Amino acid sequence: MSVPIVECTGVTKVYRQGSVSVPALRGLDLRIEKGEFVAICGPSGSGKTTALNLIGALDRPSSGTIRLEGQDLGRLSRRELARLRRDRIGFVFQAYNLIPVLSALENAESVLVLQGVPGAERRRRVRALLAEVGLEGLEDRRPNQMSGGQQQRVAIARAIASSPAVVLADEPTANVDSETAERLLDLMARLNRDQGVTFVFSTHDPRVMAHAHRLIRLVDGRVAADETKEAEA
Amino acid sequence: MTGPALYRMAWRNLWRHRMRTALTLVAIGFGSFFAVIMTATQDRSFSDFIDTAARLGSGHVTVQHPEYADSPTLTHTVRATDDKRAAAKADRRVSTAVDRTSGMTMLSTSDDSFGALFIAFDPAAETEQTMRFRDAIVAGEMLPSADARGIVLGSTLARNLGAELGDKVVFTLTDRHGEIVAGMERLTGIVTTHTPSLDVGMALLPLGTVRHVLGYDPTEATQVAVFLSDSRRSDAVAERLAPLVPDAVVLTWDKVLPEIRSFIAMKVGGGRVMAVIVAILVCAGIFNTLFVSVMERVREFGIMRALGYSAGQLFRLVMWESAWLAVLGMVTGVLLTLPVYLPLARHGIDLSGAFSQEGQAIDIAGVGFDPIMRIGIFPEHAVFIALAILLATLAAGLYPAWKVGRIEPVESIKVV
Repeated sequence: MSVPIVECTGVTKVYRQGSVSVPALRGLDLRIEKGEFVAICGPSGSGKTTALNLIGALDRPSSGTIRLEGQDLGRLSRRELARLRRDRIGFVFQAYNLIPVLSALENAESVLVLQGVPGAERRRRVRALLAEVGLEGLEDRRPNQMSGGQQQRVAIARAIASSPAVVLADEPTANVDSETAERLLDLMARLNRDQGVTFVFSTHDPRVMAHAHRLIRLVDGRVAADETKEAEA
Repeated sequence: MTGPALYRMAWRNLWRHRMRTALTLVAIGFGSFFAVIMTATQDRSFSDFIDTAARLGSGHVTVQHPEYADSPTLTHTVRATDDKRAAAKADRRVSTAVDRTSGMTMLSTSDDSFGALFIAFDPAAETEQTMRFRDAIVAGEMLPSADARGIVLGSTLARNLGAELGDKVVFTLTDRHGEIVAGMERLTGIVTTHTPSLDVGMALLPLGTVRHVLGYDPTEATQVAVFLSDSRRSDAVAERLAPLVPDAVVLTWDKVLPEIRSFIAMKVGGGRVMAVIVAILVCAGIFNTLFVSVMERVREFGIMRALGYSAGQLFRLVMWESAWLAVLGMVTGVLLTLPVYLPLARHGIDLSGAFSQEGQAIDIAGVGFDPIMRIGIFPEHAVFIALAILLATLAAGLYPAWKVGRIEPVESIKVV
């Protein structure tokens, strides 16, 4: 049996709001394999964004274990977590979150720059990726010169440029219109199918859920349902 | 990330709020402007002041009898002044060295008598750099040589004595034996320095004549006045010269004229306080700009942390922004300063109307300031100001940069 990309065991997360403890996750157990196209869904406050943040090494759980490619995140220092995020995790955020002073190409290659990939090599890879996501000819545009959909495509290119183990996408279609959302989902589905990129979404958008091969439904910080769609699997 | 990529990002970040950056640059520029102009004014005016005091007195460095400082009588002289001058001139920092004898004298004419300070000198040995009274002649002429006959008086003194050109003036001195000796010269020149204390109480006499009257040797004088091209080298020159003239003491101008030293020290101290206040204000402006700029970008920095930027890289990014502000601020400072600095350095500004009575120079401790104020900064002070601006700007960036390094991605990404 291969090592799962993501493995959560008994994960809890409790936030403090003054003297009140607010549990966001109450014992999350889940396992995501390489090449999956998974949507974590559920109502507001169900803990899906918290789960994504913990899997993405952006936060630490109150208890439980999270492993990424078999590596226990709880044993890593801040610096090691930053390196892990850089090398093994791609992020696509709801609000695009590109770096405003960088062009599309510079944004997409930023993680490769951090990894120390030589200039010519990363430019070649990133230009190919931008063409792949339909942004050929827009490489030099800054975020404020692009539409929301175009910015989210750059964000997707940035997320997959370093060939991460998993791409975590938090409500990636929330800020775009339906047509753009469909195109973005098609794009991510194609990258998953053709390149084997593992995607994990946090969403309550039915369009995302429709594209996902597996739906993990959270309710009150626990997995209430875990369904795999056989036809697309 | 490599350095160049970070500094390029920092440069672009600086121009996201052009107006704010421009205002900060103007603040740094004006800070630099004030620092340079204030320092240049002090450097030049004090340097000129010291030179003027040295010309009137006994040089930037003075060789004199060990007891002359406490008892400045004509009894306390130095001998073999030719050897002492030669020893002084062997130093490349020395522009010239001359003999002078000075003291108090009683001047009498047929009309009246007045006490005055006399300076006996060798006009042939003096230059514009050592004595400028040639320019101040308003009637008659300057003494042509050490052995020439004649006396030159300050214009007010001549008027008080009722003396006109060609009139006899008797000068009375006390010689080394305590005897009253006297000489008589005809008034050959009148000077107006516009410095009241000089115009009312100064007489210039030929050195040879005074030596003869006092019974001095041809190489004897109360002082050997040593002049330097840069008064700041006085201590070093005095230190080198002292062992070469064991029968005399070697004093720097500030020891001979302590009141001038105190005046300059007071002014320099005041200037430093002003400079510190300006520096704090500039620093606060830069800090404010950087801090606001960082706090506005918390979410962005959080995203960068999520992408894998290390705390150190974000720290360096903000410090690069700080460094760019410093460099651009200095360029702004140069652009603001040069149009004012160059005319003031070349032509100066006439302050006689503002600080003195009409037609009179500014007189401090008996030494006249040139009413034309010029400026000129010492190179080391210019370098100091540039470094101070750079360091102050970088220091102002330290806290915001540290703050950025502490940003937690999950917290900051929530910030909208």
